[in-house]
Amino acid sequence: MPVFKTPFNGYAVKFSPFYEHRLAVATAQNFGILGNGRLHILDLSPSPSPTPVTELAFFDTADGIYDIAWSESHDNLLVAAVADGSLKLYDLSLPPPQNPSRSLSEHTREVHAVDWNPTRRDSFISGSWDDTVKLWTVDRPTSVRTFKEHAYCVYSVAWNPRHADVFASASGDCTVRVWDVREPGSTMIIPGHEHEILSCDWNKYDECLLATGSVDKTVRVWDVRSYRTPIAVLAGHGYAVRKVKCSPHRRNMVMSCSYDMTVCMWDFMVEDALIGKYDHHTEFAVGIDMSVLVEGLLASTGWDEMAYVWQHGTDPRAT
Amino acid sequence: MERAINRQKILLDHLRPTSSSDHNYEAALSASNCMAGDSAAYHRTSAFGDDVVIVAAHRSPLCKAKRGSLKDTFPDDILAPVLKALIEKTNVNPAEVGDIVVGTVLAPGSQRASECRMAAFYAGFPETVPIRTVNRQCSSGLQAVADVAAAIKAGFYDIGIGAGLESMTSNPMAWEGSVNPRVKEIVQAQDCLLPMGITSENVAHRFGVTREEQDQAAVESHRKAAAATAAGKFKDEIIPIHTKIVDPKTGDEKSITVTVDDGIRPNATVADLAKLKPVFKKSGTTTAGNSSQVTDGAGAVLLMKRSVAMRKGMPILGVFRTFAAVGVDPAIMGIGPAVAIPAAVKAAGLELDDIDLFEINEAFASQFVYCRKKLGLDPEKINVNGGAMAIGHPLGATGARCVATLLHEMKRRGKDCRFGVISMCIGTGMGAAAVFERGDSADELCNARKVETHDFLSKDAR
Repeated sequence: MPVFKTPFNGYAVKFSPFYEHRLAVATAQNFGILGNGRLHILDLSPSPSPTPVTELAFFDTADGIYDIAWSESHDNLLVAAVADGSLKLYDLSLPPPQNPSRSLSEHTREVHAVDWNPTRRDSFISGSWDDTVKLWTVDRPTSVRTFKEHAYCVYSVAWNPRHADVFASASGDCTVRVWDVREPGSTMIIPGHEHEILSCDWNKYDECLLATGSVDKTVRVWDVRSYRTPIAVLAGHGYAVRKVKCSPHRRNMVMSCSYDMTVCMWDFMVEDALIGKYDHHTEFAVGIDMSVLVEGLLASTGWDEMAYVWQHGTDPRAT
Repeated sequence: MERAINRQKILLDHLRPTSSSDHNYEAALSASNCMAGDSAAYHRTSAFGDDVVIVAAHRSPLCKAKRGSLKDTFPDDILAPVLKALIEKTNVNPAEVGDIVVGTVLAPGSQRASECRMAAFYAGFPETVPIRTVNRQCSSGLQAVADVAAAIKAGFYDIGIGAGLESMTSNPMAWEGSVNPRVKEIVQAQDCLLPMGITSENVAHRFGVTREEQDQAAVESHRKAAAATAAGKFKDEIIPIHTKIVDPKTGDEKSITVTVDDGIRPNATVADLAKLKPVFKKSGTTTAGNSSQVTDGAGAVLLMKRSVAMRKGMPILGVFRTFAAVGVDPAIMGIGPAVAIPAAVKAAGLELDDIDLFEINEAFASQFVYCRKKLGLDPEKINVNGGAMAIGHPLGATGARCVATLLHEMKRRGKDCRFGVISMCIGTGMGAAAVFERGDSADELCNARKVETHDFLSKDAR
């Protein structure tokens, strides 16, 4: 299975929504605390070969990169969330000197999350440690709107897969908020965990279901129509859950990674929810993704400076 | 450098979960719908398959205890015809009913539970259908409906009946045995023993509800109930009861069919009521005329999951949205609705202004008037067909009776009348309220709109 060694510490990994063999890895020097960042664009070989991964391009930044999102409308476009508070757009079709094609500096602190709107494909949102979420479109040099309600760092933002105007944000103020960009304020506040919430993602099959991951070590699944109690509490991680991701292929499958260095797969509708645990990382596992184009193809990255791509059920380290 | 220290701190907090509670944001927060547009969840209320809906709600006529038409009818014979009617009018297979819950207050617990079981047999239910009773005093009928709704929501069963039964002829209000002398230690415990009429006097005194206001409310109640009866508005909800009645003078027994409530006095006037003497306190304001009547009666509500109702092609009379029971000072137990209604309405994500119709039990005119004023409700929306002062208050049956009255009135009013609330005060200091919605008015889910074509914000996107 393809393994790629990154010079810096991994922060995020995302499969391209257009090419099944392509993915991007965001990294930051010195664990993202101090130093530069680098964005890697990787291509996987279609068949077994001596070089299972080739690096198509990489882009350096002056500060660490915490998150990335591929454009849903252009196969060559992606946006990076940079620790210096900027969002940088990269166009792979342009010659390297012209990249980043745009830099959007509005956030006053680290940008920790970015998500491209899968239904209204020219817009994206960013979540920052300045407690705000900002809405952007590719054709505007400034943000369209700023959503300021959270009382602490926003760690994660996610568009609803079905509704072009609805997104969720997860914050260190221990709440997840659901927003409709047509409304002046948040439409729902879910005080989902007793501790900081580091990640959220919508179910791709049921637009009412939302998964959250928290410092309290659990992943929780919520029905936004009756959000006073979670539908499922998935316990099994030994430290804070850093990211959650809902499967694009199976309704009940959720993927999570944690400071306990593992990546877990869950089926939240069954009693023994933990269906797989991968311990291939030797440092905090902080970035995960599931391929939309190839069922069961997973990717992860972590502070051990490694990015792995593997098929669910196989050992990521097996080469 | 400071930036690096801050980053380090934020990341370290992820590994030291205890320290994150220093932020203590959760203390000030509770799960809530936020204002979105004109009225919060209003937008988001929609038709879901797992909604609990009411497909039928009926009641017996309510008759004066000891003097009315049901005085010689066994309690189970009041309940059985109502249960039977639910089945007959909907053609539901009685064997499919998962549970029957009956709110009932005054009768001895075990005996009443047996009577209810027997009533189910008289009504034609097979032995496989279970039944139980519930007692939350005056809100027992509503509690029964809420219990069934909750059980359906929990997935215990898909179809259930919430009912209520009270024969105040057979079971007068009384305390059996001695009172624990410890009751003197705690004022609130002691206040639980106050006669209800005294609590009414307390409300009137403490909140300044005048005798005139109370009598006026009673007259209004009688007037509206009489008008509703004359207009045949209760015909849909009342199930006629075939029974016998014994003439108290001659001892002659004759068969009768009871079809109307017999406590309504169409000609009641403020002047007449003003002549009545206070019952509970010499200088008081609570009289027999401005209190609820002592009554026999029953009500029953058939609930099921929306998906089941659709499959069976049932008419959907209403949707059970939320229920709340709250506690208040026992000495002024009548204020219950003033606390319970906002709680239930908030839980539904609504505002008081969104409610189009109220059924607030008129235990006493004092508390009824107080609650109406306290919540600033439009009198035109409350008890539009009269209340307990005219129709009667068969304790355990009142909640179920109100469901029948409310939903049939909402049906008559059409789509302009979307949300309804039922509430009552509860002896020993509580209040209960529930929010219902018309069955046929579901909005398009506003923030769950399907994107048919992409409505791109920029021209170059595709």
